[in-house]
Amino acid sequence: MPEVHLEENPQNITSAQMVVAIPSYREAELIAYPTTQAAQGLKRYFGDKQGVIINCDNNSDDGTKEAFFAAETEDVPQIYISTPPGVRGKGNNFQNLFRKVVELGAEAVVVVDADLKSITPQWIKHLGEPLFNDFGYVAPLYVRHKYDGTITNSIAYPLTRALYGRRVRQPIGGDFGFSGELARIYLASPTWTEAVSQFGIDIWMTTLAMNNNIPICQAFMGRPKIHKPKDPGSELGPMFSQVVGTIFDLMVQSAGYWMRVKWSKPTSIYGFGLGEVEMPPPVKVSQDKLAENFRMGMGTYREAWRTILTEPIFRKVEEVANLPAEQFDFPTQTWAKLLFDYAGAYNRKVMDPQQLLDSLIPLYFGKTLSYVRKTERMSVQQAEDFIENECMVFEETKPYLVDHWVA
Amino acid sequence: MAKILIVDDEEHIRFLYSEELADEGYEVATADSGFQLLERIEKEKPDLVVLDIKMVDYNGLDLLQDIRNKYYDLPVILCTAYDTFKEDMKSIAADFYVIKSFDLTELKNKIKMALETKLPGE
Repeated sequence: MPEVHLEENPQNITSAQMVVAIPSYREAELIAYPTTQAAQGLKRYFGDKQGVIINCDNNSDDGTKEAFFAAETEDVPQIYISTPPGVRGKGNNFQNLFRKVVELGAEAVVVVDADLKSITPQWIKHLGEPLFNDFGYVAPLYVRHKYDGTITNSIAYPLTRALYGRRVRQPIGGDFGFSGELARIYLASPTWTEAVSQFGIDIWMTTLAMNNNIPICQAFMGRPKIHKPKDPGSELGPMFSQVVGTIFDLMVQSAGYWMRVKWSKPTSIYGFGLGEVEMPPPVKVSQDKLAENFRMGMGTYREAWRTILTEPIFRKVEEVANLPAEQFDFPTQTWAKLLFDYAGAYNRKVMDPQQLLDSLIPLYFGKTLSYVRKTERMSVQQAEDFIENECMVFEETKPYLVDHWVA
Repeated sequence: MAKILIVDDEEHIRFLYSEELADEGYEVATADSGFQLLERIEKEKPDLVVLDIKMVDYNGLDLLQDIRNKYYDLPVILCTAYDTFKEDMKSIAADFYVIKSFDLTELKNKIKMALETKLPGE
């Protein structure tokens, strides 16, 4: 694991009760805003605590560090830490953060994304306050556009909920809080992988909180998360395989836990009284691109799908692929069983893990296309109900996973 | 057998739910308002609460928050005549919700599921 390459601690801070951390890579243009909001949050709501803001960076060459230190922080101290040159990855930044949190002896840590445009000082309050009230992990709860966060909606949320039994709506939300005690658990965990050192970090942290029975709450942010939303049909990158690969790795490592989970439970909710809920900005999705990617996958990965999927699910996927565009539908139960087949195949190492994850991407595009078509005329709330119903299908279908896990 | 606390300000609903759930073998207690609900829960020690959302003097969603803050894992099933309450994010702290009906099949199914829910280490 990479060590801290560089630390700048101009106020020579050696202890803190509360940390606000901002992980970054090349965010010189945007990092000042969340830094200033974090400082205001610390001053306004945690004035009686020793607070510090830490920028955990990947040695950005665009002036991120300078922009971070130049931000107005009302005398709240700042620390900059970085991975060595050439070492990238959000998870590597967190590894540095965990070490620093333990070194400072902090009780509570709030993390916010460096590209956040909608953060307010209340976000710091809502993500931080439960940590001083017996909770060990705080996940964000914000209204997102129905097409924003499709990996969350189709995979991360329904899978983690069905597997670990806690309903955390944004398990890879990027903004969250955790206790100093949990930082020590993270640091000592033997489950660290290369994918976790990249974008697998968020789901890894949420899952470890769940299967270590850490009290979890979800904090309502009031405002939608406004950052750089992506069209799921055109911008996916390696994030998909890092997140899904981490989910599968954790399933392998914690099978003894999730096999004993039946149904799911809600969490406490924190942070109301923020007035009217703001609606998120629209996210554009190219249905044509999703359809094209799905159908191309049928040509490229047909043999891989035949190896990974059970016969009935493979046949069902073929049937879905042959549907005319106006009738296109990826049934939820087929999707749940398909993901369970993939997890089982990953566990049984039926092929190279990266090849397996790559072959899932076109299927995910097909599922996303189906979701977009079904929710096209739905309000944000109706789409939420739709996702909740899909989660119930995952929970009901879980015995299929248990049956197919090893054989 | 599990004990269920029914919180509803309509007498006929309390009566109907009590009869039907008792027939299913549950032990049933009732409360006609949200007044001192936490104290009532402390005293009755129910395994599950069936909570009306819209009572004359109490908002069930606020009561749900109070319950969840004190009893992290106590199952709560919301009952309502309208599903517009889902627009309020507080509702997701409930285990389930059911639309009020004289056919209690859905409620009984959700009660069964909530009581069956199992997480290791609890």
